[in-house]
Amino acid sequence: MTLNRRSFLARSAAASAVLAAPTLLKAQPAEYVFGASLPLTGPFATAGQLVAPAFAMAQRLINEEGGIGGVPIRFVTEDSGYIPQNALANYQRALATEGDALVAYFGDSTGFMKLVAPELKGDQARLMGSTSFASELANPEVNPYQYLAGPSYEDQFDILLQNIANEGGSTVAFIFSNTEFGRDPIEHGKKRAEELGLKVVLEESTKPQGADIPTHVTKLAQSGAEYCLLQGYVTGVWPQLIGGARQFGLPTKFMGTFWGMEKIIADRVTEQAGPFLDGYQGVMPYRYFYDRADAPRYETFATLSKEMFVGTPLENYMPTWTIQTMCAIEIAVRALRDTAEKGLELTADNTAESLNAISDWDMGGYFGGPVSVEGGKIGTGRVYTYGAENGLFTPSSDWFNV
Amino acid sequence: MINGNLKATYAADEQVLNNAYKRAFVYGMALLCAALPFVANDYIILVAAQMGIILIAVVGVNVVIGYTGLLSLGHAAFIAIGAYSIPILHTLFGSLGVPEGIMPFLAIPLAVAISALVGIVVGLPSLRVKGLYLAVATLSANFIVIFLIELDAMAPYTGGFNGINTPEANLLGWQLDTQREMFALIAALAFVTILGVQNLFRTRVGRAFIAIRERDYSAEVLGISLLRYKLLSFAISAACCGLAGALFAYFYARILPEQFELVLSLQLVAALIVGGMGRTMGPVFGVIIVVMVPELLKYSFGIIAGGSADVAALRAPVQEIVFGALIIIFLMFEPLGITQIVDRGFRSLNRWPFARG
Repeated sequence: MTLNRRSFLARSAAASAVLAAPTLLKAQPAEYVFGASLPLTGPFATAGQLVAPAFAMAQRLINEEGGIGGVPIRFVTEDSGYIPQNALANYQRALATEGDALVAYFGDSTGFMKLVAPELKGDQARLMGSTSFASELANPEVNPYQYLAGPSYEDQFDILLQNIANEGGSTVAFIFSNTEFGRDPIEHGKKRAEELGLKVVLEESTKPQGADIPTHVTKLAQSGAEYCLLQGYVTGVWPQLIGGARQFGLPTKFMGTFWGMEKIIADRVTEQAGPFLDGYQGVMPYRYFYDRADAPRYETFATLSKEMFVGTPLENYMPTWTIQTMCAIEIAVRALRDTAEKGLELTADNTAESLNAISDWDMGGYFGGPVSVEGGKIGTGRVYTYGAENGLFTPSSDWFNV
Repeated sequence: MINGNLKATYAADEQVLNNAYKRAFVYGMALLCAALPFVANDYIILVAAQMGIILIAVVGVNVVIGYTGLLSLGHAAFIAIGAYSIPILHTLFGSLGVPEGIMPFLAIPLAVAISALVGIVVGLPSLRVKGLYLAVATLSANFIVIFLIELDAMAPYTGGFNGINTPEANLLGWQLDTQREMFALIAALAFVTILGVQNLFRTRVGRAFIAIRERDYSAEVLGISLLRYKLLSFAISAACCGLAGALFAYFYARILPEQFELVLSLQLVAALIVGGMGRTMGPVFGVIIVVMVPELLKYSFGIIAGGSADVAALRAPVQEIVFGALIIIFLMFEPLGITQIVDRGFRSLNRWPFARG
């Protein structure tokens, strides 16, 4: 047989296909795995147990929508007990047992994300979202594989301070727990307040559970702050600090960030300790689940929830913590799908590149409009106000982009 | 004590590994540890390395609680000091122009020495108080050390609340940049520590510790200086924990203050109680139960029930209950620890078929 241009090209193509076949086969496993560590026991077991069912819903939804480039995805979840080393062990176990099929991971704490960050190198790296909004993590140069499913705590402070400035406020107090979580946005917040012409009249650090709250109420009263930003608490200080301030007759407006904005907790506190949370404000990156008019994605969740979670707290309401997890999963899945569409292997480097290229994406109503991943985060959110009467957080500002 | 174990010479009686079971176990474990980096996956290496680090610390806790009879609930503080010493010393050595390849040879002994010195300070209350009072006094050491690490003034050195990235160990140019390589170092030092401490109790110092444990004022009457030996016991114990901390820092790429809180101190004491206090093998068995069994439970429950989140939400508390029940069963059936159960088994084996138990 003579070798002409056409036959040479045909044979070259055939040879390339044969040589490339193992790579293609490697890139197309029978299923992809999305690992997760959740605090199913320990101090945050309540949150972990509420978030866990979301993974079953995410698995069903993503696979019904075509998986990742036609390959189904399976979620593997382990308990961490909210101990960073346990979560690290879970991650290592997932890497060892799932190998290349493991394409993304969901972490359960800032501690874990910081602990694992330097370990994410070479074949040990995977795309990684988490429950954390720690500002330190939103740095693609240092943590290229980690992302926040919303704004950092510094961004959330920016939103609150901007809102205060817009309302004509002039003095603000920062009360925060003496933890890494509590201290995260404080220095940045002071600078931002100064830029906005707001005076920080009190910086007070407390224990996370606020055992000595009456002292802080007195100091708050002496400071005369119009607004008080709370950071680094989940529920601990509401009854003592806000309730105490109301008993004291203080007119100070209290504001919180994401972890202090859950309706279930606010309703429980109101039921048990009275309506002092009425008027409490805070920043929330997402719409609340009951605000579904402009959120078709939430409607899909609502339909699935009614079917999958009958008789559980998730049947009619998805907590903000669960929404955050769903959002983190959807961001990772989008990055994975984009990578698969480009015909690239789902390595951490390729997926991180796709993640950082996400731009003007309409997520179906999680946020106020189309969003972009910039600097490893999505810098948007708005201020909500709690009404003790109706038990709802309702929007009290437009969406801010920071 | 394992009986039915004939010693025909004084030399045989004085050996560290003075019976066939000990020899078989130690040589077997040495072989296993040598083979592990070549055959095990990353996850097994991670768990084995965690066990090695905790083991060294529990061996230290055994010196002060098991052999000297001084109850301490603050030993996580010494691990923290050992761990935080490593990045601080590496930065210092870097500024002095010390070559990287010899830094661990200086940093590890210095971290151990600093921990030992702090151990002496923390041990001071043991001269005046005993039992639960001493436990509370040592407990405060844990809180004070974590407080100091998190202090703003210390943040440039310790990273404060955010923790600090740790350097990789470089042994004369051999960069231990994988957990597999670090495991080799941890396993080697764990063996050295166990055998070193075992040997300690064949010396005057070790016997003085035991005398203090049995009755401290009787020991004093016999001429044992309580000041010297109680503080020495704390120093040796803290030194072991300092070594564990130094390895902890080299093993993990980052250390956070929350890794050294009270839970770790309690884990060390729990491992010792479950394994058997005042026995060489106590820490070994205790660490196997406290570190490995939860992982085994997680793994086996995962295989049986699957890894989906809704199943995990149910099986996670069940795993905790099973682990708790295991600890209770061990303590109910053998309050002296697993070492006693193993001893009983070997005694029975030695005398079989003539007697049981």
